[in-house]
Amino acid sequence: MTRPLIVAIKEVRTYLQDKGDLAFSLLLPIAIFALMYGAFGRDFLFHGTAHVVNEDKGGTYSALLLERLDGLEMLDVEMLSSEEADSRLERADVLMVLYIPRDFSDKLTAGEPAQVLFKQRGHGGQQGQIVAGIIRGVAEEMNQKFQVHNQVKNHLAGTNIPEDRIEVTTQKFLDREREHPIVGVREETVGIRPDPVSQFLPGIVTMFVLFAITLSARAIVEERKKGTLERLLTTRLSVGQLFAGKFLACISRGFVQTLILLILAYIVFQLFTPLSFVQALVIAVVFAAAAGAIGLVIASIARSEGGATWIAVFFTMTMVMPGGTFFPIPEDSVIYVISKASINTYANDALNTIIVEGGSLADLGLEMGVLAGVAIAGLVLSRILFKVMPGGR
Amino acid sequence: MAEEFLVAQDLYKSFNEHKAVNGVSFTIYKGEIFGLLGPNGAGKTTTIRMLTTVLEPDRGHVTVGGHSIRDNADAVRSLIGVCPQELALYEDLSAIDNMVFFGRMVGLDGREARAQAMAHLELMGLVERAMGKVGKFSGGMKRRINLAIALMGHPELLFLDEPTVGIDPQSRNNIYETIEGLRDRGMTILYTTHYMEEADRLCDRIAIIDGGQIIAMDTPYQLKSRIGPLEQVTLEDVFLKLTGRRLRD
Ligand SMILES: Nc1ncnc2c1ncn2[C@@H]1O[C@H](COP(=O)(O)OP(=O)(O)O)[C@@H](O)[C@H]1O
Ligand SMILES: [Mg+2]
Repeated sequence: MTRPLIVAIKEVRTYLQDKGDLAFSLLLPIAIFALMYGAFGRDFLFHGTAHVVNEDKGGTYSALLLERLDGLEMLDVEMLSSEEADSRLERADVLMVLYIPRDFSDKLTAGEPAQVLFKQRGHGGQQGQIVAGIIRGVAEEMNQKFQVHNQVKNHLAGTNIPEDRIEVTTQKFLDREREHPIVGVREETVGIRPDPVSQFLPGIVTMFVLFAITLSARAIVEERKKGTLERLLTTRLSVGQLFAGKFLACISRGFVQTLILLILAYIVFQLFTPLSFVQALVIAVVFAAAAGAIGLVIASIARSEGGATWIAVFFTMTMVMPGGTFFPIPEDSVIYVISKASINTYANDALNTIIVEGGSLADLGLEMGVLAGVAIAGLVLSRILFKVMPGGR
Repeated sequence: MAEEFLVAQDLYKSFNEHKAVNGVSFTIYKGEIFGLLGPNGAGKTTTIRMLTTVLEPDRGHVTVGGHSIRDNADAVRSLIGVCPQELALYEDLSAIDNMVFFGRMVGLDGREARAQAMAHLELMGLVERAMGKVGKFSGGMKRRINLAIALMGHPELLFLDEPTVGIDPQSRNNIYETIEGLRDRGMTILYTTHYMEEADRLCDRIAIIDGGQIIAMDTPYQLKSRIGPLEQVTLEDVFLKLTGRRLRD
């Protein structure tokens, strides 16, 4: 009974030596994943640019404000001249600009209130509004510090406490206040965050695992072409064992592919809990089994490598298109009915339940049943249809 | 009389009305090299495929070591080794990995498969290339590996289907010597070829096959003496006389 295993190991070794195959099935998913990360990865936290016109050249307080803004991780500061700002606002190239007036520092030094100005186009755009909000927060904080500092200074006027000491002590209290605020804010995420990566991940996993169809469809035809099929059948390996070996190899490949993708998703995006990770992996393996079995059916009827590949690619595409890999399928559409005939639908639904909705395998009786059923039916059918050669066993 | 090891009775096989094998019967005795000699398309490979359980005969009956190929194919497979006419190798794998893999398939455990693989590579003069990828080997080396794989598991009956086609004289000679060595150790061999001098040198008995039928069967000596004085007759003359001079594809 170890023969199928030996066939599978041989298969995996061959696959590990085929650089093109390896690149396709392992590196391509990783590359797509990296692209996804590039596209969505940083968007989890807000990041924007504050466009600033500083007319208070050389002023201490404008410099202080800009320094504070630049220090924020979520903001980049881009300095504009006032003409540039006007023309870019005109072109709607930027929607909101912060102006620091010429007398900003002078007024503050004199102890008078000073104002900054937001010039905006329309509502200033969503990003502009958020940037403005952030700047307001910073201004507010500076304001508070400034006021506290002035009040303490006035209060202590006439005592012989030196000014720099007042400065340092006030700052110390303000810092302490900031570290232990009276009203604090804590964040808690409920369930799994619905972000673009978790939306795309099931599609990427199923699409690449689905290529198992092509690979296992070619598996038998390749043996036939090499002449090794005939040789194998004069050994004690039965056709059933040969198919079992190919099938196992297919599942292992799907497993390794998925494992790498899911580990990346786990580490980079924290999309999983240990349990949901294992459950997603189980789904992918059962899906790979279904895909592999379909591939073997194709393998058992295909007469040439080209034939096997084309049937498999056609099949893969008709599975992927209505399978919800690239776009969600609305429930009242014709495609929705068609999609029920695609095994991709079941795999996608199952992975979505786990990754996006935070469900568990217990909710997936139908999906897992369909996938396992396809795997078993495919294996049986492929064995019935298979012939070594015309007239052969 | 020696012990009968393979008995083929009245074998027929057609592919879409084309009669590839048309009533073939013969017996191979234990320890002999039996030659199946015939032009291209005569039905040699089809006959071997039936004897080795790959193809089912349309009619007829075969036993190997007393086991019927129809009823007890697995027992038959445990007795035979097959060197197919076309190379049957994994080019992506090394020589040793090919040998060990097929060794495991004929039922050897890992350790025994490795030991036999090394011994057979030694026999074929390929030990230094054991780790080399088969895809990088020359034609002659591939032929030798193709034969070496058939020896895994020390089969009692070896089928060699034109094992020397298209290779250099050195490789060919190595294969001849290997086969003679195997015969000396008591292995039974069915050997097909369309090279006369090969059959003359190696075979104890020869069946000449053409158009799916056996048209003569005897020792090389007897076949030649049927035609004329031995000093003047070659097996080639016998062959051409029996099979005619019509060109084959
Ligand atoms: N699988 C097959 N399908 C159709 N025709 C075949 C097949 N195998 C062999 N033949 C035909 O049967 C005849 C005998 O072929 P074969 O046994 O390979 O001859 P040999 O090995 O003596 O050259 C040839 O005419 C060949 O074309
Ligand atoms: Mg042939």
